[in-house]
Amino acid sequence: MRRAIIGIILLLALSLLTFVLFFSSGVDVTRFACGKNCTPEKRATTEKALGYDKPTVVQWTDFLQGVVVGRDYPDDPELQRESPEIVTHCPAPCFGFSQVNAKTVNSLIAEAAPVSISLAMVAVFLWVLFGVLFGLIAAVRKGTWIDRGIVGATLVVYAFPTFFIGIFLLKYVAIKWQLLPFPQYVTIADGGVGEWFVNLLLPATTLALFYLAGYVRITRAFVLESLSEDYIRTATAKGLAPRKVLFKHALRAALTPLVTMIGLDLASLLGGAIITETVFSYHGLGALALRANVSYDLPVLIGLLLLAGAFVILANIVVDVLYAYIDPRVRLD
Amino acid sequence: MAKMRKRMVALSAVAAMTAAVLAACGGGSDNPPSGGSTGDGEASAKGGTLQYLQHFPFESTDPQRIYYGVELANFRRTLYRSLVAFPFDNDPDVANTPVPDLATDTGTSTEGGKVWSFTLKDGIKWEDGSDITCEDFKYGASRAFADDVLTGGAGFYIKGYLDIPADPKGGSMYKGPYRGDGQELFDKAVTCDGKTITYNFNKPWPDFPLSVASLMATDPYKESIDKGDRSKWVVMSNGPYKVDGGTWDVNKGATFVRNENYDPATDSPDLLRQANPDQINYELYTAPEPILDRLVADAGDDKNAVTAARIPPAYFSQIEGPVADRTATVESPYTNYLVPNQKTLTDPKVRQALAIATNVDGYIKAEGGEKAGVPAESIINPGLPGYTEQEMFSGSNEGDPDAAKALLEEAGVDLPYPIKYTYGQSETQDKTAAILKEGWEKAGFQVTLDPLADTYYDVINQPDKDSDVVWAGWGADWPSAMTVLPPLFDSRQNFATDANGNVTNLGQDYGYYQSDEFESLVDQAATAPDIDTQNDLLTQADTVLANDVAYIPLDTSTFYWLYGSGITNFMTDAASSSYPDLGPIGVTQ
Amino acid sequence: MTVTPANQLEERTPDPKGAGPTAITSNSPTALAFARFRKDKKSWVALVVVVVYISAGIAAPFLVMFGVLDPQTANQDLLNANTLPAGDFWGISWTHPLGVEPGVGRDVLSRIWLGITYSLAVSLAAAFIAVFVGVALGIIAGFAGGWTDAIIGRVIDLVLAFPQTLLLLAAAPVGLAILTEQLHVPDGALAQGMFVVLVLGLFGWTGTARLIRGQVLSLREREFVDAARLFGASRRRIWFKELLPNLWAPVLVTFTLYMPAFISAEAALAYLGVSVRPPTPTLGNVLKDSIQYASGDFLYFFAPAFMIALIVVSFNLLGDGLRDALDPKGDR
Repeated sequence: MRRAIIGIILLLALSLLTFVLFFSSGVDVTRFACGKNCTPEKRATTEKALGYDKPTVVQWTDFLQGVVVGRDYPDDPELQRESPEIVTHCPAPCFGFSQVNAKTVNSLIAEAAPVSISLAMVAVFLWVLFGVLFGLIAAVRKGTWIDRGIVGATLVVYAFPTFFIGIFLLKYVAIKWQLLPFPQYVTIADGGVGEWFVNLLLPATTLALFYLAGYVRITRAFVLESLSEDYIRTATAKGLAPRKVLFKHALRAALTPLVTMIGLDLASLLGGAIITETVFSYHGLGALALRANVSYDLPVLIGLLLLAGAFVILANIVVDVLYAYIDPRVRLD
Repeated sequence: MAKMRKRMVALSAVAAMTAAVLAACGGGSDNPPSGGSTGDGEASAKGGTLQYLQHFPFESTDPQRIYYGVELANFRRTLYRSLVAFPFDNDPDVANTPVPDLATDTGTSTEGGKVWSFTLKDGIKWEDGSDITCEDFKYGASRAFADDVLTGGAGFYIKGYLDIPADPKGGSMYKGPYRGDGQELFDKAVTCDGKTITYNFNKPWPDFPLSVASLMATDPYKESIDKGDRSKWVVMSNGPYKVDGGTWDVNKGATFVRNENYDPATDSPDLLRQANPDQINYELYTAPEPILDRLVADAGDDKNAVTAARIPPAYFSQIEGPVADRTATVESPYTNYLVPNQKTLTDPKVRQALAIATNVDGYIKAEGGEKAGVPAESIINPGLPGYTEQEMFSGSNEGDPDAAKALLEEAGVDLPYPIKYTYGQSETQDKTAAILKEGWEKAGFQVTLDPLADTYYDVINQPDKDSDVVWAGWGADWPSAMTVLPPLFDSRQNFATDANGNVTNLGQDYGYYQSDEFESLVDQAATAPDIDTQNDLLTQADTVLANDVAYIPLDTSTFYWLYGSGITNFMTDAASSSYPDLGPIGVTQ
Repeated sequence: MTVTPANQLEERTPDPKGAGPTAITSNSPTALAFARFRKDKKSWVALVVVVVYISAGIAAPFLVMFGVLDPQTANQDLLNANTLPAGDFWGISWTHPLGVEPGVGRDVLSRIWLGITYSLAVSLAAAFIAVFVGVALGIIAGFAGGWTDAIIGRVIDLVLAFPQTLLLLAAAPVGLAILTEQLHVPDGALAQGMFVVLVLGLFGWTGTARLIRGQVLSLREREFVDAARLFGASRRRIWFKELLPNLWAPVLVTFTLYMPAFISAEAALAYLGVSVRPPTPTLGNVLKDSIQYASGDFLYFFAPAFMIALIVVSFNLLGDGLRDALDPKGDR
């Protein structure tokens, strides 16, 4: 409960900071929204329609009010009276209205989120599976060329920029060698789980290759450490099967740090993988963010920043709760 | 024009949007498309699904807000019909001559072109089955005046021509249908008499039908569905297709299906819309590269795909063998040019030296060579009437540093002469800038490169900018140099001034150019008794510009297209601004 | 994907409170550490590569000045009709060992080489900021405890909650405008470079702060501090004579690990168009152009990416090696 309250306070601080950053920096945000050949008249209307003429703090409280009870756009009573036909109601929790898309930020996020969530899920699946597997193998074969090969190879792959890896996979694996179909997001409803998965494989691999090195190393390190501890030695001495020792005790030691990492990495991915989505032309939250940035669509940017922030804060809480289940000692704290 | 705005987006963060995304319309081309084209009007089989792979998002699907050339070309053939339209044809003269579409003829003018009337056909319907009425046309034109709500589009032409008095502040007395002020003035300027619509202009507009065919500002709009800015992505079709679901998704695209309320008997399918595919899928990508990857691979649905993404130079080496048979190279109506800043480069000799030292050949090679552009000798596209090769820019296109240096010495300036070159950043533009810089520096200039990102056109139209040369691109709005020279160089229609008469915005006259001689020639051209005299006067006006070095032409863009093996009747003509024309196109199933 | 240096860093130096294999017990004498490092062949190779890169980076501007490297001159005569380098083997020659850039014909080796200078300079400056802020706040949090500690902890949470790639992207126009309009930095490469340095530095310090805080907390409880206190040493003396010398090891390790994270981050920012803009050839800028040529010009496609990967791997191995040397318990 205390954690949740701190989380909410953090989110409020995050949203206030975001507003201050965008609206009090002296940058003419209306100029971006107004577009080319912006006349003073057109500018004034745009400013009013978007509410940019109000003080930052008022805009922020308006935003918060929208999140709690919803709001109407444009948020200017005069404009609403003049042209009632253009008013859009944005129900709670309302994250804003995008002038560029003529849609609420909520609906834009709702459209793009499934892509990012799918991508994140498949990517997490890949890197956890292979990260733990390779980490275990490396630990068991410590000091051999297998160990060095695994650790070295994952580090080298990690060192190449993500967009380079993505483009390499796209151009060679999909196009030149045609090992996989040209990736294109297919919903489960349209193509079934198989199609969905196969199409996500390349972008998810791109992401997974970036994260893999960290997971291999963590798994390896914690397994090695626990293998050297007394209770494991005791278990082995008692004649427990090596495999059982490995999975039951050694891997368990790696579980706590792994859960932390998975939680936080997953949270940061759920907010959208900008580069990977761009490379593969996936219309997820990351691509939405990039497009919003190009057109300086502030409501969308603010909505996405807060959504991603909320994921991270939530993940922190979830991870803390999970700790208590995994590691009973935590409860004693 | 919106081409500009699109360029702005193309410069953005998204990697390698190299292909010029150009707007507007008209413009002829000398070269019939090579390869792929299977001739005029030859019928393709009906049916199948055409894939349209888009490499940038459209600006709006509201006809009064559309200004991208590719969007105008596509939607005219599929969703939005108008009074008259350009037919698809490889002969630019045919393709530049409007034919009746929703009107019974191409319009009648009286009072020397100041009054235009059109009569609507019978049986023309919206996709909801209701009739398209004269009032719908009138309402559509009225929306041009609501440019505070409906940003973008090309409504400024009709707004400037319609006979409605100006208010003291310089705007129109009519404030558009949403605010309603001055509605009676508009009702006098555009009148309906049964099925006949009449437009009253404040000056002669002899090529009004060309503008109707090219742009969508005068397209009909149904008042009952108008939600102002909220209608930005709503599509109410009257063409052979409609958007499935009625709304375009700017982040994804849309699916076009057949419009049951469209009656081909009211149309001229062989001239305007064969409407062969049963369905058209628009699919949005973030860059040209993945699209070209798919088209090169030519697998599955992609066999029936076309795109408006030009083949980037990095792909040229892959266009060989059977892939090369699926390409078309066509000269486009778009010209790239440089604008010297008249306020900083005040000495004409310095500007001439700059023009002479400009390495156009190198510029084109950096863009991708002959498949990317051909040298231009004037701002007027060679396909337009009034074009002439300007002496100032003819001769060697490699740049002549020695002659330029001699001119600079003659001008008596200190060498090296520092200049700042401002351009919109992209991978390709970085390369062309490097080449231009090298050429100029050989002649004695010292060049600072100033690549700008998204706000490019918001910066270069500022009067107090410190750049000496800026890059720009332009294509005529319809086949007349009247849509080239005045919009780019007539200070009176470009400059915005504040209450004290200070210039606050340069519009599209990026070089702060002002010439009484040029402006008087433009005025004479605007009221010329016939098109030939008009064109002669415009040629003279262009020569004035050239002698003042108001611009330095670089090249006319070449469009290099790749399409799927299942495409039939691939055509790129003057009517489609050299983009793939969806009028005759078909797919094999 | 994240370009988040803090995240990457945490993958390598996670969870000080766990005091697992990553915690650094830095009370071992320097000489012992040095001896351990000397035996670590992998780290030696990494150190050599890092030294070579840094020397190359320092030398590049001088080589350009003397005309040995020429990143700007166009050689369009070396290109074929497709505007790719003419000739076999991607157009390599004695004068252009890595070939020339498609379209313009600039020397690729010169551009990459100078790119190393810019990328290292940006990463180094950002790493200094991150380490400085991180160490300062870490020490304050660790020593002061109580409310100060709690507040700093929440600030760290807040910074970590920001989706950083997105924020960097969205903040670019705002940040650049503040730099040029309010701080009067001349617009252009300098302002863009400062923006990159500042955002990387100011978002990257959290990992260090947590690590240092943990170190300070554990050091405070150590015997030698107690001993010093017992002998009546002043607070100041305990700070400067007993604690700070024991922090240099973790600081050195984090600094070494910031470098690869920031080099990668610069490349990612360049890809998104918010790094230093061309014509300044940072490694990211060169790579952004080269990735277009995956099938047209493989050498040009691969070389810049490889050069980035090599230095990133080397810095990471060096950082690991330093940690292992300074902390014999950590089994990595």
